Amino acid sequence: MDIFLQALASAMTPMAIASIGLGALIGLIFGSIPGLTFTVALALALPITFSMDPVPAIGLLLGTYIGGMTGGSVSAILLGIPGTPSAAATVLDGHPMTKQGNASIALGTAVIVSVFGGIFSLIVMIVSVDLVSRVAISFGPAEIFALVLFGLSTICGLCGGSLIKGLISGALGLMIMTVGLDTIDGVQRMTFGSVNMMQGVNLLVAMIGLFAVPFIIEAFAVKTSMPEKSQRISRVKAELPSIGLLGRNLWLMIKCSIMGTGIGAIPGTGGAIASFLAYDHAKRFSKKPETFGKGNIEGVVAPETANNAVTGGTLIPLLSLGIPGDPATAIVLAGLMIHGITPGPALFMNHAGEVYGMYVAVVLAYLWVLGLQLVGIRLFVHVLKIPRELLAVGVLVLCAIGAFSIRNSVFDIYSMGAIGVAAYVLVSFRVPITPIILGMVLGPTLENEFRTAMMLSMGDPEIFYSSPTVLVFFSLALLVIGLQAVSEFKAKKQPKNEVKADA
Amino acid sequence: MTNSAKDVALSLSLLALSAVWTWLVIDTIPTGWGHGDIGPRAFPMVLGIILGGLCILLLIRTYLLGRTPASKAGTGDVDAIEEASSERWGSMILVAVEISAYGFLLQKLGFLIATPILILFVLVIHLRLRSWKTILGMTLGMTLGCWLFFEKLLGIYLANGSWFNIG
Repeated sequence: MDIFLQALASAMTPMAIASIGLGALIGLIFGSIPGLTFTVALALALPITFSMDPVPAIGLLLGTYIGGMTGGSVSAILLGIPGTPSAAATVLDGHPMTKQGNASIALGTAVIVSVFGGIFSLIVMIVSVDLVSRVAISFGPAEIFALVLFGLSTICGLCGGSLIKGLISGALGLMIMTVGLDTIDGVQRMTFGSVNMMQGVNLLVAMIGLFAVPFIIEAFAVKTSMPEKSQRISRVKAELPSIGLLGRNLWLMIKCSIMGTGIGAIPGTGGAIASFLAYDHAKRFSKKPETFGKGNIEGVVAPETANNAVTGGTLIPLLSLGIPGDPATAIVLAGLMIHGITPGPALFMNHAGEVYGMYVAVVLAYLWVLGLQLVGIRLFVHVLKIPRELLAVGVLVLCAIGAFSIRNSVFDIYSMGAIGVAAYVLVSFRVPITPIILGMVLGPTLENEFRTAMMLSMGDPEIFYSSPTVLVFFSLALLVIGLQAVSEFKAKKQPKNEVKADA
Repeated sequence: MTNSAKDVALSLSLLALSAVWTWLVIDTIPTGWGHGDIGPRAFPMVLGIILGGLCILLLIRTYLLGRTPASKAGTGDVDAIEEASSERWGSMILVAVEISAYGFLLQKLGFLIATPILILFVLVIHLRLRSWKTILGMTLGMTLGCWLFFEKLLGIYLANGSWFNIG
């Protein structure tokens, strides 16, 4: 108890509170601008922490991480362009809510459920860090492959009208991510000898292209061909979600928090997988699945809760085993080590005070994020007052800056344009583009884990059916595909029956 | 173009893409070493074949069975384009040109010169705006605002020109 009180005192100093707030603000800004990732924000924030005490320093990094994870939803909801891959699933229902004039409710809900998910996962982490880390570390390549395959099965739920077109879209996403230098053998794949192509297609660049460029083209086309239709995106009102709305979604928030924490604890997964799985789960078990994609608040609650619950989950292997789950937590790990805190089994004995201080810092970071976002919503929604075509000009410049700044490469601006134009053509042929993102997010992990598993088993496929965990995930994937096939069959049968009844 | 004609065009184009992709993969990427080494060729090749198979399925479904899928692009995606007018395709080509030209100018002239050129072009030529207040405000505001915020405040490198550099 004494150690906890000492930690509380060290985390509640004005310096620590201010540095956590600064981190949350930096993270929010970087997270909400497409292309500027919170990983970049963490890399920029790391040198600032060198001269600070451990708790404020780690608080700054954790604040940046948490702010970035939450900030991705702002542009996803307002503009339909996810700020981070974790927010890609939020676009599906968040942006339609904006079009209906409910942007502030979607933004308010997103931040409140994010804080819920984050603090829930922190509590789970504190209570079960030892148990969860043991379970998570037991996930080998075969188990991660099965989990990712299960994640891919959610494509079925994102297909809109046609399962075949959704699968085509997913296959295109998987194919795009095979371009570049093969990470296992170092062989060039489909690079045509170009040095720029060797680095492959960056996920963020592709995401900006897929979501932002069609928005820009459409805004410009409407202005030039139908000026009378060119108007502001929607009505602007600044109201927050009611307690009743949040209460009705409490059970969904708890389920998605558990899902996010569990997935976050497995190294190599991350917020994007968690948010898509949570979205699919919410849709599948919703009383009104047909309203998903049209502005159902559950479609905002599920992914936002899950992707923030990942933050607590990723801290489990990070603190207990010293394994960072993603590039962002790798920078947090670097920050810990710079301040003499070496994660691992002995961490809780040698640095208990600092660990408790970090727990308090996470709570403070979420409170900062909540305060900043709730105040900011009143400002954010005014973006929608800008005429759509002028907003598109701003988006064009910001997205080009975002794409360029990822690797300081003009090639990424060209890639963004090419992918965006291709996405516009695909949308005009009524092909859903969300499965492309899912394929791109999951593709590299799927391939690498499959190949590693096969290498470990010396080519024996038994590795994929000897583990109960693998079998559970395979069964879940089959279940999802089966349920989707049945619902498509029912949907096709229904109009025929209606026609007969009319006759 | 009707929905079924669009689907036939889509499946044939993607079928051609999958054939070229698979051929290039087989021709340029080596196989694995065996004994469990799934080489770098396996995944791209299998994906190319899967894409081809799906396109054939779509073609059969549309052309032979005469079924057209639902009229929506997909859950929550960018709005399905209701009418593919010539203005829309023109706008698409113009945006592609603008992005490519911006990339080129960014490299050669740097952010502080390339950005106002892009914004002026988009506002005056593409959108045919005539309000000089809006044009000047957007051009100078966006350029200087982004430069001050990203380069000076956040320390993010924005391109300097290789021909000449004023940033």
